[in-house]
Amino acid sequence: MSARIFLGFVSVVVLGLGVGLIAGTSTVSAQVPATEAQAQAIERQLLCPLCTNERLDVCPLEICKDMKRIIRERLAAGSTPDDILLYFKTRYGEKVLAELPATGFNLWLYGWIGLSVLAVGSVGGWFLVRLQRRAAPAAAPSRIAHEDDDWLDEQIAETPPR
Amino acid sequence: MSLTATVGAAALLTSLAAASAAIVASIYGLRFNDRAAIAAGRRAIYAVAALNTLAIVLLAYALMTDDFSIAHVASVSSSNMRSMMKWASLWSGQPGSLLFWTWMMSVWMAAFAAITLPKMPWGAPHAIATMGAVIASFLVALAFFASPFRLSLVTPADGQGLNPLLVDPGMLIHPPFLLTGLVSTAIPFTLGAAALMAGRMDNAWLRHARGWALASFLVLGVGNVLGGWWAYTVLGWGGYWGWDPVENSAILPLLPLIGFLHSVMVQERRGMLKAWNLVLVLAAFALAVFGTFNVRSGLVASVHSFAQSEVGGYFLVLLGLVMLTSIALLVWRLPRMHAEYEFESLASRETGLILSTYVMVAIALVVLGGTLFPVFSELVRDVRVTVGPPFFNDVVGPLFIAMLLLISVGTVLPWRRATPGHLRRRFVPSVVIALAGTAAAFALGVRDLMAIATVGLTILLFVVTVREFAAGTRGARAARGLSWPVAFGSLFNRDPRRYGGYLVHLGIGVIAIAVIATNVYQEHIRAVVSPGESFEAGGYTFVFEDLATRRPGVDGIDVDVVALVTVMKGERLVAHMEPGRRFFTNFPDQPVALVDVNGDLRRNPLPWQWNDLYLFVQGWDEERLTELQVYVNPLQQWLWIGSGIVVAGGLLAFAPFRAPRPVEVASEAPEGAQPA
Repeated sequence: MSARIFLGFVSVVVLGLGVGLIAGTSTVSAQVPATEAQAQAIERQLLCPLCTNERLDVCPLEICKDMKRIIRERLAAGSTPDDILLYFKTRYGEKVLAELPATGFNLWLYGWIGLSVLAVGSVGGWFLVRLQRRAAPAAAPSRIAHEDDDWLDEQIAETPPR
Repeated sequence: MSLTATVGAAALLTSLAAASAAIVASIYGLRFNDRAAIAAGRRAIYAVAALNTLAIVLLAYALMTDDFSIAHVASVSSSNMRSMMKWASLWSGQPGSLLFWTWMMSVWMAAFAAITLPKMPWGAPHAIATMGAVIASFLVALAFFASPFRLSLVTPADGQGLNPLLVDPGMLIHPPFLLTGLVSTAIPFTLGAAALMAGRMDNAWLRHARGWALASFLVLGVGNVLGGWWAYTVLGWGGYWGWDPVENSAILPLLPLIGFLHSVMVQERRGMLKAWNLVLVLAAFALAVFGTFNVRSGLVASVHSFAQSEVGGYFLVLLGLVMLTSIALLVWRLPRMHAEYEFESLASRETGLILSTYVMVAIALVVLGGTLFPVFSELVRDVRVTVGPPFFNDVVGPLFIAMLLLISVGTVLPWRRATPGHLRRRFVPSVVIALAGTAAAFALGVRDLMAIATVGLTILLFVVTVREFAAGTRGARAARGLSWPVAFGSLFNRDPRRYGGYLVHLGIGVIAIAVIATNVYQEHIRAVVSPGESFEAGGYTFVFEDLATRRPGVDGIDVDVVALVTVMKGERLVAHMEPGRRFFTNFPDQPVALVDVNGDLRRNPLPWQWNDLYLFVQGWDEERLTELQVYVNPLQQWLWIGSGIVVAGGLLAFAPFRAPRPVEVASEAPEGAQPA
């Protein structure tokens, strides 16, 4: 088997596996009534007010059962998901929101993220550019540059012809 | 008066004295060039390990013999707990885990003193003094702030028992691995600090640091995977990683370690990044100490508990000392750190490795910021917020995607300089295949942007890496006339570090696919059913038979209430599952979930259809109307398989180290010269 055929074979297998992995999963879909699905989606956006980082939809405490009931009652009464989230935020504080709102004081966190990525990127970029400027004069690329593969070349060269 | 407690406390105090002696002896030996004093300092490190071993054996003995006169034993154990759970209670609770931490750290240090110190005469006293100072600081916390041998004010007839969440066999392996991994970062830190103090920032310290850092990466990595597995099978929320502050603390030191394992190659081969490598090992240990402080102070759960925690404040001071000392040493030695070879081109493996370390540092900064922001918010405006999975997934996800790309790019690029022809031959075909795969995924209905990017880049990673294996195997066959399998196996013998690393990359690719599948395509169904009723989820029929109760009579368990569920696929019986809730005698208000996970691969023989059926019971009423929650987690098994591949690759890369030859500067090589 030549290397190209082998590589082609492996590529096809890997391609099939990669696509199949996701394609095989994309057929899954929940069959839940729209309002219930909406209620469950809201539950996933809320946390238990008493536990630490426990999602509302999996918390068994009484307070969470009450919250779930209220979500359904308010949905039935015509409240929007945003209204319901605001209701619980007002009642228990921001800590019950699973997703941190990107507003107000919380923007400091997003600022930190931007600053971190920018700092690493700019300092790192500056370092690389500085290295590049100080680079040794361009030398014709030689076999020695590909040191990693040299041992293979050496072995091939040392093998007596058959 | 308990003899066990007295001897145990004495062992800890003597251990602290031995650690102090190690510091004094090594400094004296260095100052007066006295080898006997340095040797005494080294033996003092052994003594610390021996004394800490005695202390932990005594605590284990107290737990096994139900010696409730010791407060720690009374608070985490009870007489009806099985022996294995008594073992697990050894490292539960603040004093127990701190003793395990300190003991394990002293064992790592003793191993380092035995294996590596004799090979580094240039920095032995510096390393001994560093180890002595580090272990002494933890012994102070143990002996004076959180002693595991403190006596109960009144000896109770029975102990309180283990925290319900911790009554699980996973407690036997997950915390030991995690704590061992965290403390192991002290060894690369010791080497880095010794190199800075001794002024030897060349490859001398790296020769040893790489192996210890790899060991640390492996143990800490396994600890994190076991943590994910434990959370998955115990906590009952359908996932394995919740970006909880404690989880974040465990993964943070891993990030600079991974960065170091990559950038170390640049210094070994090209004599560059000397300061950067030191920063990474020092940061790994500082983050491990941060994690200890974070977990033990209760800082993130509430800033108020931080104020109440004596040991938390102590670790904050320790963290400050570690950071200040590290920065001072780096600033002091920075003028003496020069690159030995010049950088030649941005299109080189050096660039790929440097960029990958940048991504690791960026992820660490992002995770650190997200972990600490609730504290910041509470301090500044007295409002508690939660920074959870939605935030971390949104922010870390793209950085992870960048890392996947860099793995492929770094694999393809050669050292020093890539020619256009080289890139054309080695990269373009792989990119074409990856693009084709991405397009196919899109055509098949994948619309999530992260999923599309992950699929494309993982295919690229697979193709590039498999090509490397294929080229190596072909070369070995050509050189020695070996069969394909033997030639393939010989790669790991010839260059374990390189091919072990490639295997780790493949494992990362597998994990990436599994993470995307379980996050984006997880199906979650809640059903409220009476006995005899059924519901559908993920193509399966779940028949709720009835509720049943069981009384195991051990580990402080009062009663298990389980739902008997039969799972069918069409007319075929797939499984009987028994999720439920467990109630404890001493903790009646803290029932825990009994999760039942069915990952039987025979349900779906095709690997891309493997999934977990994950069931737990949310609650029930007097009529036995029961709420069941079902998660269908696609490709979940691949997460554990990918983790196994990463560990296997890491173990292979751990094979005996051979220092790579520095790459000679081409312009200085005689014309027609062959590689050395």
